[in-house]
Amino acid sequence: MPNNKGLKLADVLTTVVISIVFGIVYKLWGPFYYFVKPFGLHMDQLIYGMWFIAATVAYLIIRKPGVALLAETAAASGEFIMGSEWGLEVLIYGFVQGLFAELVFAAFRYKRFDVFVVSLAAAASTIGSLIMDFYKGYIEELAVWNLTLFIGARFIGAIVIAGIFAHSLVKALEATGVTQMVRPASKEDYDALDR
Amino acid sequence: MRFDIHYRETWLHRINPSLKLIVMTVLFVAVLFIHNPNVLINLTLGFLLLLFVFAGYPLKYVLLFLLPFLFIFVSTAASMILFGNGQTTWFQWGLIHITEESFFRGLHLGFRALIFALLGLLFSLTTRPVYLFYSLMQQLKLKPKYAYSFLAGIRLIPIMLEEFQTVQNALKVRGAAENSNVFHKIKRYAIPLLSQSIRRAQRIAIAMEAKRFSKAEGRTFYYELGFSKYDILFASYVVVISLLAYYVSTVYSYIPIADVR
Repeated sequence: MPNNKGLKLADVLTTVVISIVFGIVYKLWGPFYYFVKPFGLHMDQLIYGMWFIAATVAYLIIRKPGVALLAETAAASGEFIMGSEWGLEVLIYGFVQGLFAELVFAAFRYKRFDVFVVSLAAAASTIGSLIMDFYKGYIEELAVWNLTLFIGARFIGAIVIAGIFAHSLVKALEATGVTQMVRPASKEDYDALDR
Repeated sequence: MRFDIHYRETWLHRINPSLKLIVMTVLFVAVLFIHNPNVLINLTLGFLLLLFVFAGYPLKYVLLFLLPFLFIFVSTAASMILFGNGQTTWFQWGLIHITEESFFRGLHLGFRALIFALLGLLFSLTTRPVYLFYSLMQQLKLKPKYAYSFLAGIRLIPIMLEEFQTVQNALKVRGAAENSNVFHKIKRYAIPLLSQSIRRAQRIAIAMEAKRFSKAEGRTFYYELGFSKYDILFASYVVVISLLAYYVSTVYSYIPIADVR
């Protein structure tokens, strides 16, 4: 096969389809987000992390380079095409968040798939989104106590949702056997053949 | 998005989708660097004009689409207005501290969110996803495996929504407890939806690969997209509106503040 490097059409399509499932979730998450928002004190930031989950889940399922970035961008495009209230903004945010998650996975050379790495990727996506907010929302102009609460809530939410929850979601998905179809053969698989 | 609403095809629909996307992305970044609320208000008016007059949709639908944006405007503006920093205090009550600076900064953010929303709405109302991805392949050399995967994915949305309904009904029939926590609930829906989607994606991918959808070289396209006079019209409109927005803000200002930072 000449096309062994990079993502194959099957990988891309699987990633995109997973992302579209999350695109629907992202779209539905919008109304939920403003439902929580009026409670004030940045309660809404605790659920912001849901918007980072496509990158981590898709990476955990497919386990290949580039998947996290593609997944987060695709999920954002899905949300955009379905008519997001935030419009064009979601595309750019999605790209940046995916890129930051991808960088974390790349830093571990795409070899680790545990809760720690995924949580770290979720935290990296949070940093990506905060950089965007810094330019877009002047968040540095919030009162200090308020800004701390804002950032803290977003980090906690991201790690719980896009880190720990994403990992447990994929663990449950592994039980169905579908992940076997999409992952590259691992060393254990080859060892199993020798036994 | 394809709405089942009758619309008139206008020149906005005939712009090259890649060009439209690039111009809008440039506008997005440019708006991030505008700190004068007067310029933003002028720009908002310019894009509202485009939406109301040239998008080709009946007025009542455009108003309906704009409804959630009002909510975004208020919610984006509110937390900066209530909790932002500033010197000239207007109102203080407990943690809430409204100052002149934070109030105008909040309004500025509201208008900014409104512009992003307007750009997004204009794009999705006047662009067919099929043309967008064909154009991305032809003008921006996006690899066919990505473009066709997205197109296939978009076609799967209705099937996924149907499947979501099926899972919902199945859970209802089996009397699945509704009092479980939100994560448990998401999992209940996500596992069947994801696993079915992955299986379906694998089957489709095999068929698509067999039909050489992933082939990049020497590819011909069913839809040939190029550039036309409408592209020049659109680019000029954006440039003129931007210059006008700046010019008007120097002559007449709605808000007596030139920089909200």
